[in-house]
Amino acid sequence: MKLIYSHLQKFLPDLSVEPQKLRDDLTMIGHFTNFYEEIDDEIVFDLDIKVNRGDCLGYYGLARDLSILYNIPLVLPEPLAYPTSNYALPIQVTSTGVTRVMAVKIVHLKNSVSPDWLQKFLKLHGVNSVSTLVDLTNYVMFMYGIPNHAFDTSRTTDKLIWENNNGKNTKFTTLDGTVLDMYPENLVISNPTEVLSTDLVGGKNSGVKPETSDTIIEVAIYNPTRIRLDSKLLKTVTEASIRLEKQLDPELIPIAINNLVKLIIDNCGGQVGSRIFDYYPNPQPALAIEFNPKLPSIISGIDIPESFALDIVKKVGSRPDITQEEDLVEEVVRFYGYDKIPTNQPISFKQLPDITPKVIYLIEQLKDKMVSEGYDEVLTWPLVSQPTDPQTVITTENSINSESIYLRQSLIPSLKAQLDQYTRYKLPHPKFFEIGKIYYLEFGQYIEKFALGKYDGNSFSEEIIDDLPQPDFYTPINTSNQAIELTSQIITLDANVISDQSPEVLLKHYQSIIDSKILWQIAISDYYQNKYTFRVSYYNCNDKTAKKIHLQTFNL
Amino acid sequence: MDLNTIKQEINNCQTSTELENVRIKYLGRSGLINQEFSKIKTATDPKAFGQQLNTLKLDVENLITEKSKTVVSENIENKKVGLPAVALAKVGHLHPITQTERQLNEVFRKLGFSIYSSPEIVTDEYNFERLNVPKNHPARDMQDTIYIKEPEYLLRTQTSTIESYLLKDHQPPIRAAFPGSVYRNEKVNHSNHFVFHQYQAVVVDKGITMKDLIGTMDLMFKTLYGPNVVVRYRCKYYPEVEPGVGPDMQCFNCHGQGCVICKYAGWIEMGGSGMIHPKVLEMAGIDHHLYSGFAFGMGLDRWTMAQNNITDIRTFMGGNLAYKPNE
Repeated sequence: MKLIYSHLQKFLPDLSVEPQKLRDDLTMIGHFTNFYEEIDDEIVFDLDIKVNRGDCLGYYGLARDLSILYNIPLVLPEPLAYPTSNYALPIQVTSTGVTRVMAVKIVHLKNSVSPDWLQKFLKLHGVNSVSTLVDLTNYVMFMYGIPNHAFDTSRTTDKLIWENNNGKNTKFTTLDGTVLDMYPENLVISNPTEVLSTDLVGGKNSGVKPETSDTIIEVAIYNPTRIRLDSKLLKTVTEASIRLEKQLDPELIPIAINNLVKLIIDNCGGQVGSRIFDYYPNPQPALAIEFNPKLPSIISGIDIPESFALDIVKKVGSRPDITQEEDLVEEVVRFYGYDKIPTNQPISFKQLPDITPKVIYLIEQLKDKMVSEGYDEVLTWPLVSQPTDPQTVITTENSINSESIYLRQSLIPSLKAQLDQYTRYKLPHPKFFEIGKIYYLEFGQYIEKFALGKYDGNSFSEEIIDDLPQPDFYTPINTSNQAIELTSQIITLDANVISDQSPEVLLKHYQSIIDSKILWQIAISDYYQNKYTFRVSYYNCNDKTAKKIHLQTFNL
Repeated sequence: MDLNTIKQEINNCQTSTELENVRIKYLGRSGLINQEFSKIKTATDPKAFGQQLNTLKLDVENLITEKSKTVVSENIENKKVGLPAVALAKVGHLHPITQTERQLNEVFRKLGFSIYSSPEIVTDEYNFERLNVPKNHPARDMQDTIYIKEPEYLLRTQTSTIESYLLKDHQPPIRAAFPGSVYRNEKVNHSNHFVFHQYQAVVVDKGITMKDLIGTMDLMFKTLYGPNVVVRYRCKYYPEVEPGVGPDMQCFNCHGQGCVICKYAGWIEMGGSGMIHPKVLEMAGIDHHLYSGFAFGMGLDRWTMAQNNITDIRTFMGGNLAYKPNE
């Protein structure tokens, strides 16, 4: 979500904080703000809005939060007084998925190219400018967070119907020409002959054109579940659908549509040509939540004055995502400041019965045992391309990695693939193990077992460890070793050395003069009396470099 | 069969082969200790007998592990040429993820936590419903789920799923921490994988507060990242908590100035946490008027990769990850 500072100030004329501070404050109260930048003389913020705050996909929702945080007034545009008209729009609503629709007709307007400020606003939000009328509908969507739509009534007539598709259309062409397959349950806006719009994208047959002079504008909120299902069925995600699938406030619709009408008349001329249509069958009374002003202190662990808590709860008022006392506690704490909670007081030790499953101790013990025997631990993919036993394999239904759709039934194929990798990199003497889950079907049940698989340098083996005797307790050995990402083949070279020094001293000596960034391993592979053969492996360097270093080191 | 005799036998071993023979004799599948285990049923006090055997087994295991550090290693190469052990003894290594998990387990064990685990193939109920994410909740879009049988069976998408099991199976006071593999339907590339590793800690008790949560999380971050790490705690939404808390670490690269690594935010989101949602406690049969709790979870892969200078997540699993054999 983009947020332009100067447009935010339309709701918050007294807002004057530095952009840097605004960025940090927005983040602290729950709207993670990645950064802000200056584009075309505007300061633009980039925010991640969480799914519970659909209202903040509009400037108005964020302005509400900031007005509480900074204690500055939230100002709405002066409302337009609707002229009286006797004409009632012949709109019908038959779908139960509609929460509220408001609509009004505007006639004799003159659509044209948008003014610069509007084009700039939309460009900064990544939306193309179409015409003044269309651009204003988008502007109001961004400002209030509620999608809306304008129909060209010369193309649609005034007889709009909000209904379930019910087979009226099997295909639907959207504004941009995409053809969608329609389902009977899709919520659509149609007229008696055809579907004009879905609930999340408008149609090519009904949209506003440059020459449009009469329009019905509508602002609606639907059942979010209906929108999510339609978005899935139609495989379509739009600016409208990402807002409508969240809880939006139907009480905001009258304000949004009034502002839209005003903006249209101001910018396109024309006049209101109908009464305001308002379908709102089940207005929800504001939820009554019992609130204990001590609770924010109890839950946060710091002292938050009760007067502060009550003040915030009053200011926040009702919002679709606030449904219980704990939600109000979060409101109080976030406006009080999460940063006021000390960070240096962890919980202290408490003796409780050990509920650790014993197999965890066994796994830790086995890992230490394997390591003490010189094995390296590897991790391989639990999803594999080939079943070991097609009869009992568990298959994923929707894995987008088409080469990894089966849950592994054995670690060994994966360990073999690991050995192939090591061979490709010419790793000397690989010896490794994995403890991981294997999965299979048994009498229709999904079974998971822990297995230990290993490669001992010659052969692979595997055993299920769930059934082995398990220790009552085990403290793992603390180790810290670096792992290395091999980027090229390991190059192993020999050198003959004649010396009367001990092999340990010689090893130390050569080890110290080879750069550890390329020295993989140095060993004595053969010796007879005072004649030694050193075998040195180099890594992360090419053949030529390895040879050069090798010759230098051993004076060859 | 007493510990002293076995101890002597272990001490007498000179080479890894001799030690391995002793290990097989006592700890092998049909070794003497396992043979004893089969007598449990007929023992006069099976419980005490079993405990004694377990203790013996552990002691023997520990003795052998200790001894293995000092005996002469005899792998194939040095047998061939009769080399001094120092030249070729290969050291074994733990995967970096195991090391990070152990480091964290230790922090939490010291605070009285158990380590927990639960299945990876789970029902919708445990992965979503019990975490306050009902069907068709938009929060489901935060995670792309791999289904075994849609809509019921799936691969867990988060370690919070383990929390679902934990809260159902145990009554407060509860302290548990758990590493776990989790799955998302993501295309594998250099920075994304369908499987990755998370770590979570959960406390449910009387009087648990956000201060406890933040203090404990901060202790964990300082253990992992060092005492100078700067972490801020802010409001963040997750359906299973209320209030929610998001820890962000000041970018280690730019120190808050903004750079490519932190996507110019100056901060890096470290995971999610909060006070366990009253509905989550209720669904687990825990009285939320009496008890409160916190939960936090974080990903382990990115941090552990950075620690090891590994840039490609595919290297981490089944890839070209290796260890220097003598370090």
